[in-house]
Amino acid sequence: MSSGDVKHDYHLVNPSPWPLLGSLAVLVLAVGGVTYMKGLFGLEKGTMWLMALGFAMVAYVMIGWWREVAKEGALGDHTPVVSIGLRYGMILFIASEVMFFVAWFWGFFEFTIFESARTGSTWDATNPLYADALSRFKEWPPVGVETFDPFHLPLINTLVLLLSGTTVTWAHHALQHNDRSGAKLGLLLTILLGMGFTALQVIEYSHAGFTYDGTLYGSAFFMATGFHGAHVVIGTIFLAICLMRLMMGGMTPKHHLGFEFAAWYWHFVDVVWLFLFAFVYVAPYLIMEGGK
Amino acid sequence: MPMDEIALDHHDDAHDHKPGFFRRWFLSTNHKDIGTLYLIFSLFAGIVGYTLSGLIRWELAEPGIGPMLWIVEHFQGVQGDAAITHAKHFYNTVITYHGLIMIFFMVMPALIGGFGNWMVPLMIGAPDMAFPRMNNISFWLTVAGFVLACISMTVPGNSAGNGFGGGWVLYPPLSSTTGHPGPAMDLLILSLHTAGIASILGAINFIVTILNMRAPGMTMHKMPLFAWGVLVTAVLLLLSLPVLAGALTMLLTDRNFGSQFFNPAGGGDPVMFQHLFWFFGHPEVYIMILPAFGIVSHIVSTFSKKPIFGYLGMAYAMVSIGVIGFVVWAHHMYTVGMNVDLKAYFIAATMVIAVPTGIKIFSWIATMWGGSIDFKVPMLWAIGFIFLFTVGGVTGVVLANAGIDHALHDTYYVVAHFHYVLSLGAVFGLFAGWYYWFEKMFGIKYNGMIGGLHFWLMFVGSNVLFFPQHFLGLQGMPRRYIDYADGFHTWHLVSSFGYAITLAATLVFFIGLAEAMIRRRKGVANPWGEGATTLEWTLPSPPPFHQYNELPHVTNKGGH
Amino acid sequence: MRHFFAALCASILAAPAFAATPVDGALGFQPAATRIAERIHFFHDDYVMWIITAITIFVSLLLVWVMVRYNRKANPVSRKFSHNSLIEVIWTVVPALILVAIAGLSFPNLYYQDVVPNLEKIQTESAALLADGKSAEYERYTKNYFPDAAAKGFVNVKAQGNQWNWTYSYPDIVDADGFALEFVSNGIHKGTAADPADSDVRPRNLAVDYPMVIPAGRYVRYYTAAADVIHSWTVPAFGVKTDAVPGRLNEGWFLVDEPGVYYGQCSELCGVDHAYMPIEVRVVPQDQFDAWAQLMLAGDYDAAAASVRTMAALEPSTQLAANH
Ligand code: HEA
Ligand code: HEA
Ligand code: CUA
Ligand SMILES: [Cu+2]
Repeated sequence: MSSGDVKHDYHLVNPSPWPLLGSLAVLVLAVGGVTYMKGLFGLEKGTMWLMALGFAMVAYVMIGWWREVAKEGALGDHTPVVSIGLRYGMILFIASEVMFFVAWFWGFFEFTIFESARTGSTWDATNPLYADALSRFKEWPPVGVETFDPFHLPLINTLVLLLSGTTVTWAHHALQHNDRSGAKLGLLLTILLGMGFTALQVIEYSHAGFTYDGTLYGSAFFMATGFHGAHVVIGTIFLAICLMRLMMGGMTPKHHLGFEFAAWYWHFVDVVWLFLFAFVYVAPYLIMEGGK
Repeated sequence: MPMDEIALDHHDDAHDHKPGFFRRWFLSTNHKDIGTLYLIFSLFAGIVGYTLSGLIRWELAEPGIGPMLWIVEHFQGVQGDAAITHAKHFYNTVITYHGLIMIFFMVMPALIGGFGNWMVPLMIGAPDMAFPRMNNISFWLTVAGFVLACISMTVPGNSAGNGFGGGWVLYPPLSSTTGHPGPAMDLLILSLHTAGIASILGAINFIVTILNMRAPGMTMHKMPLFAWGVLVTAVLLLLSLPVLAGALTMLLTDRNFGSQFFNPAGGGDPVMFQHLFWFFGHPEVYIMILPAFGIVSHIVSTFSKKPIFGYLGMAYAMVSIGVIGFVVWAHHMYTVGMNVDLKAYFIAATMVIAVPTGIKIFSWIATMWGGSIDFKVPMLWAIGFIFLFTVGGVTGVVLANAGIDHALHDTYYVVAHFHYVLSLGAVFGLFAGWYYWFEKMFGIKYNGMIGGLHFWLMFVGSNVLFFPQHFLGLQGMPRRYIDYADGFHTWHLVSSFGYAITLAATLVFFIGLAEAMIRRRKGVANPWGEGATTLEWTLPSPPPFHQYNELPHVTNKGGH
Repeated sequence: MRHFFAALCASILAAPAFAATPVDGALGFQPAATRIAERIHFFHDDYVMWIITAITIFVSLLLVWVMVRYNRKANPVSRKFSHNSLIEVIWTVVPALILVAIAGLSFPNLYYQDVVPNLEKIQTESAALLADGKSAEYERYTKNYFPDAAAKGFVNVKAQGNQWNWTYSYPDIVDADGFALEFVSNGIHKGTAADPADSDVRPRNLAVDYPMVIPAGRYVRYYTAAADVIHSWTVPAFGVKTDAVPGRLNEGWFLVDEPGVYYGQCSELCGVDHAYMPIEVRVVPQDQFDAWAQLMLAGDYDAAAASVRTMAALEPSTQLAANH
C-alpha cells in the first residue's frame, strides 16, 4: 500500500495547509461575526464583509480539505482499518451533535415542565418588570402564543423526512449492489425531499405567530427547530455532494464512506426531528388542548 | 496552491526525512510535532495565566485598591474616580481570564494536547494519531481561540472598561447585555466555541486512535493507564462540550438577536445557564485531572520498579469517575434556590466520587509498597501530587455537603479547594509528566538538581500560597473581591508571599529548561531502567519522525 | 480546636454588644449567632474536619512509610506483587462507610437549614412534649426549635440586590397609607478617596449607611430578589447564604438571639462594585426594633440608624444554648 518500509495499513497523512488555513478562516469568521454584531476595530456595527470573508474562507477550506480526502480515498489510502477509524469518527461526531441538541431540549423541557418552579411561587410578583412576564408565562405554551397545529404542516414534514429516510436507504442498497442509476435516483429523491422539508419549514416559519426575539417561546422553538433545519440543509448539501461524486463516477459498491456518512447523518437528522415533533409540536399542543 | 504539490509528493514522507521548517511546524500532520506545538503553546499561555495570577496576588497582598489602580492609571490613562471604577473592573477581568486561560489554554492543551498527542500513539504502539490532519486543526483552533480571548481582553466590555469581568463561569445576566454590553463578551463566547470545537475534534481523534490503532496484542486491558485516562477524558469532552456550546450559543443570541433564554424579563431563566454550564463544568474538572492520574500512575510504577497495583481497578476507577462526574453538576449551585431534595441527591452523588478516587490514591501507595523507590525528579512531583490532591479532594468532600457549602460557597475555601486539585494537582501532574518524558520528547537530559529545586520551591510555595486561603474562606472572605475587610489581611499577605516563592520556582524551571537546551546532553532511550515498561521507552530519544513502521507485537503481560 | 477559636474570638470581641466581623489571623468560622450556624460549625469543626484531617494524615503517614521503608537504599530489590483482593475491597468499602457516616449528619443538617420551619407545628409539638412531661425531650427539641419565638410569628424581610446596594423591605411594617417599609442600604466604603477613615467604628468594607434591623429572638423569614444581575445575600455568623436571582424569589430563615451587629458581603460576582455592597444586620430587642421601625416609617432614616447604633443588652440567652 504505502511506499518505503512502512509495514502497516494506517494512513500517514502528508503535511497539509488546510488545518492552518481553516483555523485562520474560523478566526476571521469569529472576528467578522462580532464586527457584524457589535462593531470592532473601528468598523461599524453591521459591517458584513469581514464575516462574509470568513464564511468564504471556511467554505474554501472545507471544499479543499474534503476534496483531498476524497482523492486519498480514491488512491486507496482508506484501507479497511482506516475505514473503521473513519466510521468510528463519524459516529462520535454524531454523538457530539446529539449532545448539542440536548442543550436545546434541556431549555425546552425546563421551560415546559419546571415552568411552575420557575414562575408561580418563586417569581417576584411585586417587581413590575416581571409582573408582566409572570402573567404571560404562567402556562406553557404561554398564554397568547398561537402555536402550530402539529397535525398540519409539521405532520407532513414528518412524513417527508421519514420518506427521505427510506429513499436514502434505497440508494445505499442500490449502490452496494452496483445499481448506480438506482442509487442516483434514490439519492436524488432524498435530496428533493430534503429540500421539500426545508421549503415547508420556511413556509411554516413565515406563518409563525411568534418571533425569535422578544418571546421565550419563540426563542426556544426557533432555536431547536432552526438548529435542526440547519442540519437538514447541511445534510442535503452532504447528500448532493455524494450525488455529484456518483455522477462523476466516484464511489464503488465497496468503497463509499462519504455516502455512508451522509446517510448516517441524514438518519440522525431524521431521529432528532421525531423528538422535536413529539415534544416541541405535539406534546404542548395536546396539553393545551386538554386544558381547554 | 499547495494542494497540487501535495498530490505530487504523495507518500514520500514514509522515510525518516523531515519536512522543511514551515511545513513541519505549521502544516504538521505528525503527532509528536503537534504535541510539541501544544506544549510550547501551553507554556506560553501558562506564562500569561501565571502573570495574571501574579496581578491577583499583588493586589490582594494589601487591603484597599493598589496595583490595579496603578496599572489603570499608567496603561489605560484613566484618572480620578473613573480610574477606581476601571481598576475594579480590571481586577474582575484579571481573575476571569486567569481562570479561563489556565483551564482552557494551559492545563488542557498541555495534558491532553501535549502529552496525549505525544504519548498515546507511542504507548499503544501506533504510528500516529487516527486523523493527523484533524489533529493539527485541533491545535490551530486552540490557538485561534486563545487569540480571540486575547482580543476580547482589549475591547470594551462595559462602561467600566475593556474585557469581560464576570468570572470564568460566565453567568448571565452579568454576561448578557445587562452586565457587559460590549463586544468583549461576544469575542469570549466565540473564543470558547472555537476552543471547544478544537477539543471535540481532538476528543474524536483520541477515542478513534485508542479504539482502532492499538498494536497487535494490546487489548484494552493491557493498555497503559495514561491512555485510559485520555480515553475517559476524551469521552467526557465529547459529551459535555457540546452542551456548553449550546449554552453559549443561547447566550450569544440573547445578547445579539433578542432571544430570551436567560432573560428574566422575558420569562427566561438565568439559572438554566448555570445548569447547562455546570453540566459541562463539572466533567471539565475531571477532564483536567484524569490525564494527570494516568501520568502519575506510570511514574509511580517506574520509580518503584513495580507493576501498577490493581491495574484494572485503576482503569475502571477512572471510568466510574467519568460516569459519576456527569450527574453531580449542581453541587456548584447549592445557593441558587434549589429544591432541598435535589440538594440531598447532589450531596450523595458527589460524595460517591470519593470512593473511586480513594481507590486510585491507595493503589498508588500500594504500588510503592514493597518497591525500591528512586526519588528522581518526576517521582517527587508524583508523590507531591498524591499528597496535595488528597488535601484538595477531601475539602471537595466538605464542600459537597450542601449544609456546609451554604457557609463556604463563593468564599476562598472554594478557591483553596480547587487550586489544591488544579494548581497543585493538575499542574503537579503536568510537571511530573514534563520531567518524566522530557528526555524522551526532546532527546536531551535536564539537570536533576535544578529539577529537584524547582519541585521543592513549588511545593513549599504553593502550599504557603493556597493553604491559608482555607482560613480566609472559613472566616467568610468572599471570592472575586478586589478589596477586603481588614480582618482578612494577614492570611492574604501570607498567600501573596507564597506566590513570591512560586515565582522563584518558575524562574528555576526556566533556568533548568535553558540549561538543558544549552548543554544538550544526549538523551538515551530509557533513562529510568527496569521500571519503565511502556512502549515509548523501547524507542530512541527522541523517537524517529515516524515510529513503528513495523508494528510492535505486545505479547508479555507488560504494557502497563 | 473549635473551643480555642471560640475563646480567641470572644476575647477579641469583648464589646458590650456582640459584633461579628472577620478577625485577623483567625483560622476558623466567625462565631455562630444562630442555631443554623451552630449546627454548621459543629458539623464542620467537630465532625467532618476531623474525618478529613484523619484521612489526610493517614495518607501522609502511608506515604512517609513507603518512602522510608521502600526507598532504593532500604529495599534494593523490589517485590513484584500487583494484586490483593482483600485490601482492595477494604479500601473501597471503608471510604464508602465513612461517606455514609458523613451523609448521616449532613442530611438532617441540610433539611434543618433549608426548610422554613412551620411555626404552628413547633408550638403544638413542644406543647405536647411538655404536657406529656417529657422534659428531656423538650430540652432537646428546644435546642433546634423555639416555641416562644414561634408564638410571635415570622418577621418578614426582603433583600433585593441591586448593582451595587441592597434594598430591604418589610412587607408587614406599613405606614398609614399602606406602603411597606422599604429602604436602600449602601456600603459606606467604595474604595475611593471619599471613604471615611473611622474604620474602628464602621469597619471598612462592611459597614453600611442604613443597616437591616431585626428584632432579637424572633423567627426571621427572608426573601432574596435581584433587580439586574445575580447577587448573593449572606451573613457568615448566621450560616446563611442565598442567591438573589433576577426573576426568582428565594427564601430562607434564621433566628438570632443575641443583640449585636453582624456583617456579611455580597457573595456572587455582580460587576464593578461587587466588593462594595456589604450587608450589615443589627439585631436589637423588640422594643428598640419597633422604635426603629417607627422612625424609618416617619422618614427619619438617620435618627433611625442612630437609634440602633447601640444595642440594648438582652437577658442572658435562654433559647440558644450559649455557645460563644
Ligand atoms: C481538577 C479539578 C477538580 C477536581 C478533581 C475536583 C474534585 C472534587 N470537587 Fe471540586 N472544584 C473544582 C475543581 C475540581 N474539583 C473547581 C475548579 C471548582 C470551582 C469552580 C468555580 O466555582 O469557579 C470546584 C468546586 C467544587 C464544589 C463547589 C463549591 C462551591 O462553589 O461552593 C464542590 C462541592 O461539592 C466540589 C466538590 C468536589 C469533590 C467532592 C471532588 C472529588 O472528586 C474529590 C475526591 C477526592 C478525594 C476525596 C481524596 C482522595 C480520597 C481518599 C483518600 C479516600 C478516602 C476519602 C474519603 C472517604 C472522604 N468542588
Ligand atoms: C488550572 C487552573 C489554575 C491554575 C494553574 C491556577 C494558578 C494560580 N491561581 Fe488561580 N484560578 C483558577 C484556576 C487556576 N489557577 C480559576 C478557575 C479561578 C477562578 C476564576 C473566577 O473566579 O472566575 C482562579 C482564581 C484564583 C484566585 C481567586 C481570585 C478571586 O476570587 O478574586 C486567586 C487568588 O489568589 C488565584 C491565584 C492563583 C495563583 C497564585 C496561581 C499560580 O500562580 C500557582 C502556581 C502555578 C504555577 C507556577 C504553574 C504555572 C504553569 C506554567 C508556567 C505552565 C507550564 C507548562 C508546561 C510545562 C508545558 N486564582
Ligand atoms: Cu452584588 Cu456581588
Ligand atoms: Cu464540580
